[in-house]
Amino acid sequence: MKTSESFEALRRANPRSKPGFARAVDAAAAEVRLRIAADRATAEPRVRHIGPGRLLVGFSAAAVALAAVAAVAGLVAVGSSGSTPGGTPGVESAAAAFKHAVTLSAVSAQQSGTVNVRMTHDGDLWASKVIDWNGGNVEISDHSPGGPSSGSPLLVVDGMLYGHDPQHEGWVKVGPVSSIEPGSGTAPTEQLGVIREDVGGATLRRMVAAMTGLTTAHQGDGSTLYSGEVAAGQIARQTGFKEGQAIRVLPFGYVAHGAAADPASVLHTAITVGSDDVIREIAVTWGTWTYTVAYSHLGSTPPLVAPAGAKSLRHVLRHTTPPPR
Amino acid sequence: MAEFARERGRRFGALYEAYSADIVAYCTWRADSASDAQDAVAEVFLTAWRRLDDVPEGDAARVWLYATARRMLASQRRSTRRRAALTERLALAAPTREPSGDPEEHLVREALRQLGPLDREVLLLSEWEGLSPGRIASVLRCPTVTARGRLHRARRRFRSAFERLATAERAERGNRRAAGVPATSVTHVLGEDS
Repeated sequence: MKTSESFEALRRANPRSKPGFARAVDAAAAEVRLRIAADRATAEPRVRHIGPGRLLVGFSAAAVALAAVAAVAGLVAVGSSGSTPGGTPGVESAAAAFKHAVTLSAVSAQQSGTVNVRMTHDGDLWASKVIDWNGGNVEISDHSPGGPSSGSPLLVVDGMLYGHDPQHEGWVKVGPVSSIEPGSGTAPTEQLGVIREDVGGATLRRMVAAMTGLTTAHQGDGSTLYSGEVAAGQIARQTGFKEGQAIRVLPFGYVAHGAAADPASVLHTAITVGSDDVIREIAVTWGTWTYTVAYSHLGSTPPLVAPAGAKSLRHVLRHTTPPPR
Repeated sequence: MAEFARERGRRFGALYEAYSADIVAYCTWRADSASDAQDAVAEVFLTAWRRLDDVPEGDAARVWLYATARRMLASQRRSTRRRAALTERLALAAPTREPSGDPEEHLVREALRQLGPLDREVLLLSEWEGLSPGRIASVLRCPTVTARGRLHRARRRFRSAFERLATAERAERGNRRAAGVPATSVTHVLGEDS
């Protein structure tokens, strides 16, 4: 064998010569843009409370970050238009617009936002909750019809979990969120992990990357509906094990069941992007079930504060009337 | 201040345009998965963005980015190992890179795997990234003479590993072909008997 044979093979294995490399460069540009914008978003509150002298520095840093984001954004557009080998330009541009919406939504949602999550069966509401977040604080209000905790919100502020006590009609300081049933896949800390991952756009990016048969429909209100098929494993990721079963959780925290819990099942997925390029709704359908996540107030959900006068759990247990025998 | 912001943005944009494909290529092969590679690229450029004043001008910027990418990937591998330990505890399947369907690429990967990590790094920096021994030395933070010597040795070892593997692969293919004919006839005969 000639020396050149082994080295020619080595040169041919260079990742630059592989199909999909241009797409990887585009995807990296979107990720860089997201990180810089997120860096800006986390830098701003840090300077807000250290004094007016620093405030100017904070805004200046934000302006500089925006300039960098704009520079990389330009590169994404250029890269996308040039990476259509073998693909249909319309589909490629729809996919690029779709990816852009995911990135923009994740940036908008970084600091605060609200989602309304609904699960319906044959059109009837089965479960529903509203999640508000601001920084690391989260409020989850259950609105499931007849659910045991319907109307009782859960609030996490600075790592402390607060619940609503129906008997005393007031807030109860339950305890540090990390100490509650860890490792079950459905404990508050794990659900919060799922929510934070979803806020950061990780699930959306996975769904977009895995979507096949992408079709685009422009709606009368200026929004665009992107639909296609996505493997359930890309939508509901595994968060742990309970009683020997893998627990798979849908975006923003409901435990998946039926076909949605089988990673290989293909689920019909529709994502609505508003005229402002921000994602409005995700709808996933399997059989007679539909799971929707509607986004609102991205970047404008008010701060969440610890409830005043919350009683300790010990106090509540001491004063709870035991049930009749 | 706005002009400063624009200038900084312009400089970062130019840096990104010039070297993003190089850093994507560098991270693609070395990371455990496509998403890890994307994550590493994003962290490299986020670091460059935060420390733009430390990034040298010209081609030296590329060397700076490679060195940063190398550190990012090492740190990523450390956290992957921690995650893998947790995954193992939970008895979940660890994510694995999809094997390449190209037999030649498989041989290349296998031959590279047989080199030591530093030999592999100098060889790939030279062959895939086109860096001179002096630039490789800057990325690895070692004297140029060390990088040159290591490159020479890595080339020799790669060639020898590739040849050995290619010969073994050819022999195996020949054996399979030879064994394939009787195997078919046996099946056929058994089929007739039943």
